[in-house]
Parts: sequence; structure tokens; C-alpha cells
Amino acid sequence: MKFFSKIKYPLLKLIDVSGFKVFDPVIRLLYNEEPQKQVRDIVKYMVLPIIFCFICIWAWNFLGPRHKTKSGEVPTPIEVWNVANDNYRFSEREEEKKTAFSLDGDKRKEEILFVKSEIVKLEEKASFLQQESMRVTEEVKVETDAKLAPVNARKDALKAEIKQAKAEREAEAIAHAEKLMAGQVTPDSLVALIKKHKEAVDEEKAKSKLIGDELNEIRDNPPKRLKEAQLAANKMEDEVLHYKKRIDYLTKGNKEQKIAGLIEKSDTAIAALAAATTPAEAVKQAKAVVSSSEAAESTAEQKYPPAATIFYQTKRSVATVFVGFLIAAFVAIPIGIMCGLNRVVMACLTPIISIFRPVSPVVWLLIFQIVIGAFFPDPETHPLFMFMNSPSNPLAFLRTDPAMIFSACTVAMCALWPALVNTALGVSAIDKDHLNVAKVLRLGFWSRLFKIIIPSSLPLMFAGLRISLGVGWMVLIAAEALSTSDGLGKFVWDEFQNGSSASFANIILACFVVGIIGFVLDRLMIILQRLVSFDDGSAVA
Amino acid sequence: MSFLEIDNVNVGFGPPTSRTEVLENINLSVEENEFVAIIGFSGSGKSTLMNLLAGLQPPDVGEVRLNGEVKTIPGPDRGIMFQNYSLLPWLSVFENIELAVKSVFPKMSKSEREEHIMNYINMVKLTPARDRKPHELSGGMRQRASLARTLSLKPEVLLLDEPLSALDALTRSDLQDEILKIWGGDKRTVVMITNDVDEAVLMADRIVPLTMGPGATLAKEFTVNMERPRDRHTLNDHPEFMRLKSEITTFMLDINKESKAKNPADVVPMPDVQPKDFTPPSATLKFSHLGNKSITPVNETSQ
Amino acid sequence: MHDAHRRFDCNKNKFMKKTTKKITVISAALSIGVFSSPMLCAEQLDVEKDTLKFGFIKLTDCAPIVIAKEKGFFEEEGLQVEVVAQPNWKQLLDNVINGELDGAHMLSGQPIAATIGFGTKAHIVTPYTLDLNGNAITVSNAIWEQMQENDEKLDSDNPPHPITADSLKPIVMEAKEAGKKLPMGMVFPVSTHNYEFRYWLAASGIHPGMYTSTDIKGFTDGDIELSTTPPPQMPSTLESGKNVAYCVGEPWNQQAVAKGIGVPVVTNYDIWKNNPEKVFGVTKAWADENPQTLIAVTKALIKAGKWLDATDASGKLTNRDEACRILSQKNYVGADFDVIKNSMTGFFFFQKTDKRPLPDFNVFFKYHCSYPHYSDGIWFLTQMRRWGQITESKPSAWYHETAKSVYLPEVYRKAADLLVAEGTLTAEEFPAVDYDGYKPATSDFIDGVEFDGKKPVEYINSHKIGNKDTVK
Repeated sequence: MKFFSKIKYPLLKLIDVSGFKVFDPVIRLLYNEEPQKQVRDIVKYMVLPIIFCFICIWAWNFLGPRHKTKSGEVPTPIEVWNVANDNYRFSEREEEKKTAFSLDGDKRKEEILFVKSEIVKLEEKASFLQQESMRVTEEVKVETDAKLAPVNARKDALKAEIKQAKAEREAEAIAHAEKLMAGQVTPDSLVALIKKHKEAVDEEKAKSKLIGDELNEIRDNPPKRLKEAQLAANKMEDEVLHYKKRIDYLTKGNKEQKIAGLIEKSDTAIAALAAATTPAEAVKQAKAVVSSSEAAESTAEQKYPPAATIFYQTKRSVATVFVGFLIAAFVAIPIGIMCGLNRVVMACLTPIISIFRPVSPVVWLLIFQIVIGAFFPDPETHPLFMFMNSPSNPLAFLRTDPAMIFSACTVAMCALWPALVNTALGVSAIDKDHLNVAKVLRLGFWSRLFKIIIPSSLPLMFAGLRISLGVGWMVLIAAEALSTSDGLGKFVWDEFQNGSSASFANIILACFVVGIIGFVLDRLMIILQRLVSFDDGSAVA
Repeated sequence: MSFLEIDNVNVGFGPPTSRTEVLENINLSVEENEFVAIIGFSGSGKSTLMNLLAGLQPPDVGEVRLNGEVKTIPGPDRGIMFQNYSLLPWLSVFENIELAVKSVFPKMSKSEREEHIMNYINMVKLTPARDRKPHELSGGMRQRASLARTLSLKPEVLLLDEPLSALDALTRSDLQDEILKIWGGDKRTVVMITNDVDEAVLMADRIVPLTMGPGATLAKEFTVNMERPRDRHTLNDHPEFMRLKSEITTFMLDINKESKAKNPADVVPMPDVQPKDFTPPSATLKFSHLGNKSITPVNETSQ
Repeated sequence: MHDAHRRFDCNKNKFMKKTTKKITVISAALSIGVFSSPMLCAEQLDVEKDTLKFGFIKLTDCAPIVIAKEKGFFEEEGLQVEVVAQPNWKQLLDNVINGELDGAHMLSGQPIAATIGFGTKAHIVTPYTLDLNGNAITVSNAIWEQMQENDEKLDSDNPPHPITADSLKPIVMEAKEAGKKLPMGMVFPVSTHNYEFRYWLAASGIHPGMYTSTDIKGFTDGDIELSTTPPPQMPSTLESGKNVAYCVGEPWNQQAVAKGIGVPVVTNYDIWKNNPEKVFGVTKAWADENPQTLIAVTKALIKAGKWLDATDASGKLTNRDEACRILSQKNYVGADFDVIKNSMTGFFFFQKTDKRPLPDFNVFFKYHCSYPHYSDGIWFLTQMRRWGQITESKPSAWYHETAKSVYLPEVYRKAADLLVAEGTLTAEEFPAVDYDGYKPATSDFIDGVEFDGKKPVEYINSHKIGNKDTVK
């Protein structure tokens, strides 16, 4: 109990620092502090916003399917949720394959039996669903045909009618023309007749278009259960395929099995070498020994090459944005300090800052691909990538490649400016009294810089860095989409390219992921900013 | 030759053709261990005078001498205590003083330094607050911390730039006593700027009025012939105190009237605009949108 | 199951041509006994590099590469391969050149154009042709209606095929007289789509425009404006009117049908029967450094191609369903299974009501198609010359030399020999040993003009529209 009451204020302070002041009344309520007021606050600042969110989701759910777009309907929240689950399952599958790849000994055998038994079950389900889907397809086809039949009949009737009308018109026109030849009617009346016919044709066209639209309407809107049945069947088939792939990874694709095979091969070759009768044969077998043992060694180092899951993409995006952000900070802060300290430096850099700040990230990306690309003529043997991707490096999972560096540099280039400008202003806006203190104490340049100037401009510097990180995160998504650097940007771009029925939902999912991560990054920066700001910090939003 | 001298000093600004003198013909001699109060109206150039003494602003004409040496740059020999404390907000009381002590006495060992610092913190009665940051302190406590920092430099001259003007009356009298007590125990030359006649009379040995600017200069000085320690509770009955107070007040009001008569433009209400300047706008304005209030506007002129 | 099946076959050291479900089940049962003692039946080559990264574009014809990975054919060769989607052809080529990728799924024209220095210059070679056919030309609904007006035969749910551009010509000319060249889309300047679209238009007397040394967009003298559009954007450009027609690979034609925004009028099978479509390309430098690896990769690709084209007794493609399922995974083509299936299982929707069997719409192995024929390269070179991408006249010998510097049948041959020796495939499945790399002359074109790879300049001159050269 004592501990409970002891942590009250630290707790309140923590949520204050982390910017989650919304939860303040909840904590206070727990401590029974003015419960009525707290409940009022909870209702006002938590319940109402949550209700509002639900209203938004409901509106989305309601309006989404009613808005037809070029890429189909706007997916509903449920569809997005399903897609999120699919993405999760996809990453689970990658994990399962990875495990299968490296399992060895009895575990592997057990796993094989388990997976095989699962396959039998799943195949049963799949074939049931497949039949179900076929049945529904048949049913729907019958239904649709039934719906189409009368319309088609009308269409045929109309066609016949039109054909006949056309023939009649032609005959009428000829007859009229004959009369004209005979001088019974004026040429004008023939023109008028043709004009009338043309109008009739237009009318017919409009009619057949209407029927065509009606047909399309029926064809384009099959009942939902058809799509659902197909989707269910497809999903189960995918699952079966995955389990079969797992068997592959447990048997011939298994690391241990591969190595064992190679060792066996080398043993065979050793035996053959011993039994060799001709020099050529001996050399051949010796070569085989070397090559198979070498292959075994390199196989031992092989790792399962995982496909890019949304988790991996997210991790990579976050890593890239941090690399870019750190580059930006390392460049921007010293330059910003110089600008703030010296007005000549500021004057020299102002035109550069003004010109380059508005440049689009896309342009930077293209420039960096050319400029920085020159440093990695052969990425695979480049020390940076060898180091980053060596199996012992804990960051090897990021699979660093030049595209990542380009994206990070683009992020850095765009995130540079807010940090630079803010640092410069923070330094130049330093309290004159503080400088006077430095003067009175006769501090040297470096101690003035590190003891007075930098600490005093830290809050602004961090305000700038916070903006930088936000800008960087936004820029990154675009840069990744363009540079094929793995990450959320590529996830979005790939989905766009996929053009599958789930693509739109996937893009919306990515939108949420990007948003949430951006939010978390911003919160982190706020906390940092609060930690370095020396007043009560309440000013930081 | 006096201990601290201001010799025929002029300070002004503007190009030579239309120059405005802030201070003109300033002459002041302060003896060692003397407590001098300079009293003046807002805008008369009191802070300029203080900056001059501290070396933060060089004189255009004339010189400032300490112990016969000409001073043009600031140094720890003239410890200045600013009106708005000037504590570094990211450092605790102890660290603020430590920064000063470290740079002035670099050879001090760690334990010596700590003792030295604690000595001054104790002196201003801030021991319980030694690890607090300035924003966690009251105005009075901040000024105490500032005083401790200034004293810790062991300056030859203590320059107090309206040190108490931002405080409420109670804290103010409390601190006046505190300063007097410390000064009593550890005699030192003090130049204090103030706009409070009572304060000047209570604390100083000598009171020098500063006339209204532009072109302010030091007027006829008043010597305070009252024995120390002076007790503020009985002071109001002290005839010398009453005499000095009324004399100085009358004198000050006279110079004010004179100045208004001489310079009628002053009476005309001035529009509240700043002269146009092409330097970057003040930080407070610029960054208000970033939601950062940590930079407070600096009021350069006295109140 | 298929893997188990193949291993079983391997062990027996003979290839079963006809797969029935029964056999599959038996072999699966047998394989349970086999799994604990691995038998690597393929004789692995001593590869220089065993971890590779290949790029592809999200189109169904990347199938052999994806299948070789997913079905473990690369692994059988001791290769660990990562397959990475690329955003566009330019970037893909750049990534191959800068070493980010070891090799990639490429447009047939890409290695040739890169080698002769049209666009990005780099010596790219190819030991393997990935597939035949697979493209179609789609026109917008409005154009389709006008075409129907111009040609009554087309006004039907099942119009007679092939459809030429004859009924399109009046529309183009009318628009041109009104001062507007109709905008049309293709995928890439050196893509098969570009040449096929131009061929189809020119066959009906519509001038598609010439490339010149100053006009790299290829608009000069054209009756229309044919410009580059990324495949995924094709349907939406058609809908917005930015293009009135386009030529692209799958699934983007079937998608236009599914969304009801356009009508595919002709497949490239009708423009040139069994035309080569995509190749597997690597840089010359890479090929020189990793000769054994390249053979191993080619072996795996041949097996994948063979797997993709496997049929049962009735001629039904047996593995295509599974292939479609694999391709529909989001890290590969990622389109809906049903959409991919539409074109890959031997059918093609021309309209919602017009589903036709097109068994050869995607050919991955049949007709010796995966062999890198010199004549294929020469056809692309003649088209580049015909439309002015090659700006100056070249002698016949140059065409042969260039084709020989890009296509590597010797690598293919080595891979094939190894596969035959292993018993995985039979010698009949490959071109005869004395085959010189030139397909016999054919006039299976929409306009019936004969193409003989041995006479490139004559072929260029046999067309009405386009550059003409003197035979040297």
C-alpha cells in the first residue's frame, strides 16, 4: 500500500513526460482523488474521443463499399483487419519455413510426421471448400444466367428490331430518293428524312447501351457468397501449398540434410579415390572430394532467405529512418551551431539552405543513386555491406544494401533542414545573460560552446530534430517506394503493382502502420525533448 | 587614487553625425570596502553603467580602472550579480556555482572545490536546495543562488545590478538583510544599482544619483552617516534616515522635472514600436509556434 | 507431392512423362521411406557463387525463376537464391549492372539494347529464354465500339479472330486530321510490347512513329503517339483516357476485362505465333566470372520450364494451378489467383462473354522455346533498326555478330547435356545437336511477311513502313 501511494507522483510525472496526459485522470481515479472530477475528465477526454473514433470507423464501414473506384471498392475496416491477419499469417509461414530449414535430428522427423498428418487434414478441408466453391460457382452461374436470360432475350429482340428498322429505313430512303429522281419531292425533304433516320439510330444506340449496362451490372455484381467461397477455398489451398513447402524444407531443402548429402558424396568420392585405378580417375575423385566438402562448408553457413514480411519491412524502415536521421543530426547540428555562432557563416549558408530545402525527396534519391552508387561498384564485396551482413552481426537481419543507403541519405537530406535551421536559431537566440556569465567567467571557446551554448540551445535543437524525424519518416516511404529498398514504402509500392483484390486493403493497412509508427517516433522525440528541456516542459505539445 | 575609478567616461550609440550619448562625463571613485549605491530612474542608463563597470561594454571615451589597472573586458575580479539571476537553467544550484568556481579556480582540488561551493551555498541558506534546478526555485532563492555564485568567485568588487527589483517586498527586505549580513562578515567593495531610495539608504555608505538620460551623468552624492548595523525596524524613526530619504527623493523628483522641461518630447506618449532592425527577430517571437517557452525575452533596460 | 514424385523418378533414374494422380499418391507414400536418407540425384556443379539474388517484374512470365526457387530446383543445384521484385525495367537493368542483382527476368530486347548501347550501355548476355507469347493489345470501350462500327463482323460476342488494326485505321486517321494523335501505351522502349504494337499497327498501314537520333520518344512521322506507361497503371490510363489502347503482359489485359474498362483485341500469339517474350539476363562480366554457376542456374530454369509445361495424357497443363498459386503470393506477382489463372491455364477472356481456349498463350518449354535462338535476337535487332532505335544502317554480318554476343546457346547446351546425362530430361526435348541457332523461316505473322533470321536486312526491307537498308 505504501508503495502504491509512493509511485503516484512518479507515475503521473511519467505519463506527463511521455505526453500521455490523457491517462492522468485514470491514475488519479485509481488513487481516489476527486473521483467525480476524474470521471468527468475521463468522459470528456477519453470516452468521447473513443466514441468519435468508432463513429469514424462506422462511417468508413458504411461509405467504403458505396464508393466504387478504379481499383474496386474501398475496403471496409473488416477487410483491412483480415488483410492484417493475412499478413500476420504470411510472416508466421516464413517463420515456420525458417524453422523447418534448420531443424535437425529427431525433431525434424517428428516435425515431418506432424506436418504430413496436417497436410492430410488440410487437403480434406481444401477439397471440401473447393467443391463448395465449385458448387456455389455453378449455383451463381445458374442464377446469373437466369437473371441474364430475360435481358439477353430483350437484347436479341432489340437487335432484331434494330436490324429490321435499319432495313426499313434504308428502303424508305431509297424509295424517297426514287421519288426525288422522279421530281415528286424536294432534295431538302430527303436530307430531312436522313436526319430523322440518324436520330432514330442514336435512339437505338442509347437503348442498346442501356441493355448492355444492365447486362454488365448483373455480370459485375455476383453475389458476395461466390467471392467468399472462392476466397475460402483459395486460402485453404494456399495453406496446403505452404505445408507442402514445409515438407520440402524439412527434407531435401533442410540444411542438415543437404550437408549430410554432401558429406556422403565426399565419402563416396574418398572411397572411389582409394579405389581409383587410373591417374585421371584419381584426380577427378580428389576434385570431387574438395568440391563437395567445400559445398558442405558453405551450406553450413547458409541461412534461410526469408521473404519480406510486413514485420521485416517495418523493422527495416525504422532502421533506415534512424540511419538517415542520425546522418542528418550529425551534419545539421555542427553546421547549425556554426550558423548560429557566426553571422557570416549564416549568410554564406542561407542561399544554399533556401535553394535546397524545398527540393523533393525524389530528386535527391535519384541524385544519391548516382553519386553514392559510385562508392559501391560491387556491393557484395564492399566492406560496409560485408560487415553489416556478416552472419555474426546482430543487424544482419536488416539485409543492408545500397538501396537502403540511398534511402537513408535521401531521408538525411530532407530531414537535415529543420534540425539545421532550428539549431542555428537556438544558438543565435541564446539568452544574452548566459553569454554575459560566460564572459565574466572568461570561459574559453570550447567550454563556452559545450557548457553554455549547446545546453542552452538543446530544447530548440530537439524541437528541430523532432520535426526532422517526422519529415524523414514521411520522406522515407516515398524513397523506399522509388528505390526498391525493402521497407514499408516498398510494401505499398509492391501492393500497388500487385493489383490484387487485397491490394487496396493492404495499402490502407500500410497507411495505419506508417501512421502508428510515425506517432510512436514522435512520442519518443517528445520524451527526449522533455528530458533535455530545462524548464517545466509543459510548453511542449 | 581610489580602488575603483570611472574616469570621464562617455558611452553612446549611433553614427558620429547623429550620436546619442547614454552616459556623459561619468566620474566615480569608490574606496576599498565601500558600499556605493547608484540610484536612478528607469531608462537613465543604470544598466549601461553597470555593464561599463563589469567590462561587458567598453567606454567610448575615458576609462574604468580597478586598483589602477584599466579594465576593458569582463573578469571574475568584478563579480556581477544580474537583475534576472542569470543562472543556467539546465544546471542545479550546485552545478551553477561549480561551473563558475571551476573556471576561476581551475587548480582547486575536487574536495576543496566542493567545500568552497558548499560554504557559499550555506552562506545564502540554500543547503537543502543545492540539487534543485533554477526553475524549481522561487525568485528569492534564485537570487540567493546567484549571489552565492558571484561571491564564490571571490571578486574584488561586487557589482549588484538591481538585484532585488524583481522580488516582492517581503523577500526583498529579507534578502537586503542577507546581503548586508554577508557584506558585514566579509567586507568587500560593493557597487549596487537600485531604484529604491529606502534600499539605498538602508544599505549604502554613499548614494550617487544618476540624472535622466540621454546624456545621463552622476549628480551630487549623498553620504549616509549612519552606524551599522542598521535596523530596518527602527529606521523609520531615525532622523538621519528620514532626512536623507526626503532629500534624495526631492532631488530625484527635481531632476525628473528638469529633464521633462528640457526634453518635452519625452512627455509625448511614444508609440510602442521597436526600431527597425535587420537582425533575426527575437527568439521568443520566432519560436512561439514550436511551443517552446524556455527562451524568455531579455529585458535589457532597467525597470 | 510433386517433389516427392520427382525424387522418386530420380531414384529410378528414369523420367516419367505422364503423371497421373495415382502415381503421385504412390510416389508420395514411397517418399516417406525415402526422406530420412537424402539422395541428391542431381550431380551438383562446382559453383563459384552459391548465394544469388535475382530480380523480376511482377508479371506472370517471371514464372520459371519463381518456380525454380519455390520448387527447389535452384537448391538441387546447390544454389541459395533470393528473388526480389523490381519496380520497373530500367531499375531492374540498373540493379543488374551495378551488381545489386546477379541476374534478372528481362525483356528480350533489353540485353540486346544494352549491349548495342541503346539506353543504358552494358554488355548483357542471356543463356535462357523464359517464355513465348503472353501479351495482348487492349483498346478502350469507346474505341472498341467505333471499331465495331467500322467492321460489322466485330459487333458480336464472339468476333472472328485475329483482329487486325484495319478497323482501327479510320479512327486513327480521323483523329489525326482533327489534329489529335491518339495516345497509346506500351511498357518500355525496347520491350516486346513496343515492337508488337508497332508491328500490328504498321501491318494495317498505321504509322506508329519512328525513333531518330533526336527523337527518343519515337513519335516522328507517327499517326499516333505510342509512349511508355508502367504496366500496373495501364488499366487506369485507359479509363482516364490518357491512353486509348495499350499493349502489355498479364494480368493487365485480363484486369481490363474484369473491370469492364477495355477489350483485348489481339494477343501477340496472333501477331507473331510463338514469339519470344522474356529472357533471363546477366552481365557478361558476371557470366565470365561465374561460368559454372550460370550453367547451374540454366539447369534449374530448364527444369522449372519443363515443370511449368508438364501436361497429362489429355494435354491438360498439370502444374499450372500450383504455379498460379505460387505466383499469386504477395512476394511474387501478387495478383489474385483467379486473375493469374485466367491467362495461365490456357484460356483468355477477350470480353466477359468471350472466353477462348488459348493453350499456347504462355509457353515456357514447349517448341524448344527456352533455347536462346540467335534468330530471336536478330528479330529484335531488325525491329530496332526498322523503327530507328538503331540509327544507322548495318550490314547483315553485324546482326549475326550482335545476336551471337548476347545469346549464349553454348551455356544452354552444357546445361541440357548435363540434364540429359542425369536422366532428368531426354535429348529429344532439346534442339538437335547440329542446330545452328536459327529457327526456320516463318511467315506466321499477322501480315504474313516471312522472317528468316539469316537474312535480317532483307527482312527489314520487306516491310512497307519503317527504315529500309541496302543489302551489303
